[in-house]
Amino acid sequence: MLKAVKNFFTSIKVAIVLLILLIAASVLGTLIPQGRSAQEYLVRYGRLGGLFQMLQFTRLYQSFWYITLLILISLNIIVCTLVRLSPKLRRVFRPKCDLDPKSIQVLKVKDKFRIPMAPAAAVEAVKAELGRRHYRVHGQAAGNRQCFLARKRLLGLFGSDVVHVGLLIILAGGIISGLAGVRGSLTLSEGQTLPVPQAGFSVRLDRFITDLYPDGNVKDWKSELTVIEGDRPVLKKSVEVNHPLSYKGFVFYQSGYGSDWEKPELEVWLKKKSDPGYLKTIRLEVGRPVPVEGEDITLTVSRFLPDFILDEKNQPSTRSLDLNNPAALIRAERAGTELFSGWIFAKFPDFAQMHQAAESEFKAELKDVRAPQYSVIQTAKDPGVSLIWVGCAALMLGLFLAFYWPPREIRLVLEDGQGKMEISAGGITAKSREAFQTEFESIMTALRKTP
Amino acid sequence: MSESTIFTGSFILYIGSAFFYLAFLYSKRKTMARTGFVLALLGLVLHSLALVLRTIESGHAPFTNMYESLSFLAWATVLAYLVIEWKFQAPKPGAYLLLIVVALMALASSPLMPKDATPLVPALQSYWLWLHVSVTLLGEAFFAVAFVTSIMYLRAEAREKAGTAPKGSLTAERLDSISYRAVSVGFPLFTLGGLVFGMVWAYKAWGTYWSWDPKEVWSLITWFVFALYLHTRIVMGWKGRRSAAIAIIGFLAALFTYFGVNYLLAGLHSYA
Repeated sequence: MLKAVKNFFTSIKVAIVLLILLIAASVLGTLIPQGRSAQEYLVRYGRLGGLFQMLQFTRLYQSFWYITLLILISLNIIVCTLVRLSPKLRRVFRPKCDLDPKSIQVLKVKDKFRIPMAPAAAVEAVKAELGRRHYRVHGQAAGNRQCFLARKRLLGLFGSDVVHVGLLIILAGGIISGLAGVRGSLTLSEGQTLPVPQAGFSVRLDRFITDLYPDGNVKDWKSELTVIEGDRPVLKKSVEVNHPLSYKGFVFYQSGYGSDWEKPELEVWLKKKSDPGYLKTIRLEVGRPVPVEGEDITLTVSRFLPDFILDEKNQPSTRSLDLNNPAALIRAERAGTELFSGWIFAKFPDFAQMHQAAESEFKAELKDVRAPQYSVIQTAKDPGVSLIWVGCAALMLGLFLAFYWPPREIRLVLEDGQGKMEISAGGITAKSREAFQTEFESIMTALRKTP
Repeated sequence: MSESTIFTGSFILYIGSAFFYLAFLYSKRKTMARTGFVLALLGLVLHSLALVLRTIESGHAPFTNMYESLSFLAWATVLAYLVIEWKFQAPKPGAYLLLIVVALMALASSPLMPKDATPLVPALQSYWLWLHVSVTLLGEAFFAVAFVTSIMYLRAEAREKAGTAPKGSLTAERLDSISYRAVSVGFPLFTLGGLVFGMVWAYKAWGTYWSWDPKEVWSLITWFVFALYLHTRIVMGWKGRRSAAIAIIGFLAALFTYFGVNYLLAGLHSYA
């Protein structure tokens, strides 16, 4: 039973099938828009929409079966790595060489020659030459024969294992992010302080700045944030897109912005019909009566809409939060009696149709509208992220080892024969055979030349 | 001289290079291939100059819109091909690769691609733009080389089987090994640029290293396909036709990640 499980997970065919299934599933997930409403799927796919939802195709990457695929492939990686590890370790730590020169004759890269040297001197020459090229040499002797196993770049043997461990670390990081990650969003007006959810400290938005290019496109959004512990400011930083703020494992990102049209600052011009030279500039906020200097009247704005429209019930409402058609509902009073009231429009100063309670010589125009800006700051605490970077580093290191650090192995058998040493040598490498062959040949040439 | 003049100059050199490589295919004269190589190299030098000028003029990395990124991909493909040709001394794929480069350059110069250097939106103002895009596209350029040599493999193999392979032509076995070598350069580059640098940048800009955005998923798919290529080849000993087929699919997936996702699927990567 256990053996069957082991066979299943060490099977490369199973790994290939899992990989193909993952590819197919991932493709499917990009063809069906993810995470939309049930309504939208019904409109888009009709009856199929329900089926897609039932099979979790609409949240595919978080679905039970996609995660199962990932777990299965992880198990495959773990079992394969473990199974292959012990023979590799044995190869590295228990080097063995074969005293029979025939074992060398089967190798692709090989050479055979004699040097006129005493055995001890020949062994020293071989060891010195291989050592000079960073080979680690292990030897063994029996009778008139000695064999050597010279190896280097043995780490390359573990390239694929390092890659696979890296991938497992990345997946582990992903699991931790998914289970323990906290994400939130703070909408802050300038000067406002809000507690960060689940963090035990607060942040205050000191200033929000939008930088523009000369052509009017947005260059950057900056939120100057202060981190507050208890009631003590502990850290100040300007957060921009691509430049988040990190504090105690929480990271703060600039993610959005807008204008708070609930609290607009309005500039209204008051004119007199009889006097073309008369002009008073009055600054107003919603809901606060403001007396007009030099007159015995007060002005009040009771409502403001950034994008005025009459809705289906013919009631004033706003179409959007953009400043497309700003309008204010204004009212003028003299000693408690209404002079006029009605909507005034910044873009259509002559359109105002005032409800005139009494004959009035005043006319109000909406000249300028400002609102405090608010900034949307994303907060994230992701305890999995450091594992992700560790995994990525392992992944890249492993790829380097696997592709560009192939182990090289030279086997030698030295045989004492009539005052000369007969040397048989052969080499093995998994990759970049040409470079290895060049090195092998130059070692052999050097050995031949040794006096 | 302006950037666009130099760009056109390199375009003309690439066309010349493609012409000589094609002439080599038909005449089998080594000098043709050598001329093709030299013209491509000169084109690459001019093209590099154009990219540098563009960077100076716009003040940002030269791959922030489709024109710029096509031009950079063409540049990377020439570079990848010249490296492979120099390493393997096999000029035959040159004709097809230079034709691909000419097509990329033509697409980049087409009036459909706005060429104005636009100021960078806030999300792209990061040195990760350099690292992420350049390394990814360089990796994809090596996939393009593997794509061409894999297609050539299929043809060479069929001819060898039928016994109609012309004498002295590049053997199928050699094409297979060139494809593998191109993948073994492209795969680490693509992993580093596309996935690792992509995750780091996403974390810095969006606060999450992975969000299953279609472009992310498609680069993962591309990665899976090449992982499949490597495993079937190294562990199962697949070579030749099946290997070539996977390399071809892998490049098509990379191509879809690069082009298709932008035009067909909506996502976070809306700018490029």
